[in-house]
Amino acid sequence: MKMPITEALTIAVIGICVVMMILAIIAVLIILLSKVIRAIEKLIAKKTPAPAAPQPVPAAVVTDREVELIGTDEKTAAVIMAIVSKKSDIPLEKLSFKSIRLMDNDEKGGNK
Amino acid sequence: MEVLYETLLAITWPQVAMWAIGGLLIYLAIAKEMEPTLLLPMGFGAILVNLPLSGAASVIEHLFDIGIAGHELFPLILFIGIGAMIDFEPLLTNPKLMFFGAAAQFGIFFTLCAASFFGFELNDAASIAIIGAADGPTSIFVAQELNSNYLAPIMVAAYSYMALVPIVQPPIIKLCTTKAERKIRMVYKGKAVSKRTKILFPIIITAIVGLVAPDAVALIGFLMFGNLIRECGVLNSLSETAQKVLANLITIFLGITIASQMKADEFLKVDTFIILGLGLVAFVVDTFGGVMLAKIMNLFLKEKINPMIGAAGISAFPMSARVVHKLGLEEDNQNFLLMHSIGVNVSGQVASVIAGGLILAFFRGIGG
Repeated sequence: MKMPITEALTIAVIGICVVMMILAIIAVLIILLSKVIRAIEKLIAKKTPAPAAPQPVPAAVVTDREVELIGTDEKTAAVIMAIVSKKSDIPLEKLSFKSIRLMDNDEKGGNK
Repeated sequence: MEVLYETLLAITWPQVAMWAIGGLLIYLAIAKEMEPTLLLPMGFGAILVNLPLSGAASVIEHLFDIGIAGHELFPLILFIGIGAMIDFEPLLTNPKLMFFGAAAQFGIFFTLCAASFFGFELNDAASIAIIGAADGPTSIFVAQELNSNYLAPIMVAAYSYMALVPIVQPPIIKLCTTKAERKIRMVYKGKAVSKRTKILFPIIITAIVGLVAPDAVALIGFLMFGNLIRECGVLNSLSETAQKVLANLITIFLGITIASQMKADEFLKVDTFIILGLGLVAFVVDTFGGVMLAKIMNLFLKEKINPMIGAAGISAFPMSARVVHKLGLEEDNQNFLLMHSIGVNVSGQVASVIAGGLILAFFRGIGG
């Protein structure tokens, strides 16, 4: 059975459109899949304590009272504590932090 | 002496022509290193089956019956090896590259129209068109499933043009692009792809293609099975075997089995030359389609794409990606396009299988 050229053209157009469409769907799915997996992995990472996580945060616990964090997150606070400990050569266990506060712009401009 | 005389008398001119063709394939494989793993067995097989009163022909035909005619085992098993070889990471980091894979299938559909114009039967026209997939196993699978009368020339064309990608593509790419376009640099934003994504990718692709084009599920399924073995991380030895031993073993048999269809009386026909010509047209249009899509996309994109990467959308993996990379370096020795072109190249692999499945679905339904 031979195929009229018009029918071949129709099939060709439909064919390339369908291939494009399927690949577009796959591309969107890959993007979604990557996002979902990244979100799940972040959730899992939050739930399970990372073994290599920096330990300075618990150091604040040594002081028997919570460090008050104002305008800053735990991660940044942990880094600051670690830096202070390193620079002052005082072990974290012996340091006591009352609060860590993010300075606003006016305070930063103090050396004017 | 009498046997020798009888054999010499049985030699025909077409057989001598096939020896020459076999010799040419062997020459291209060895001297030009063009797809030697396939062209060499094919070339030798072509000589073998065209020897007068050849006793090898029946053995090779038996291999054909088992490995190709019976459920297309060889191409499918080869796909496991190919799947294990492919790293989809460049595609997963930039899924937009998928579109180039689709654009580079234009050749299939263009050739379908051209083959119809030349008066080929429905199943033959569809099988010839699939040469444009630039994918040997898919071409064999589709042609065999559609009972094409031209399986041999289709296989020869598909594999020969894949081998000729470094010769066929560069002039077309240069013709469609300006020097400035070829110099466009692309930054590779290599994002880490999680192991979970890499594992889920082959499973999800198989499921989607299985739903949309069930006829292609054997092809994509075997390809993705090979990729899952590679990415799962617990089957390293199987992955190594699939990539090397399995792929090499099947390639040896596939090459020589294809030759069973290269008997002078069946191969040397005008139609064969038309098919070889149509195959070349398919490759040219594939390349043109990929490059043009990139150029069209560049009209709307802020961060321009080097249009040459579109040409890597034909699934001749990894040759077309290398060709594009090399062309990029020719224009600017600091322009490294390999990661982008590989991404496009693997998307072409997926696209060609989907296109093959669609061709099967269309032509089984319409008239096959």
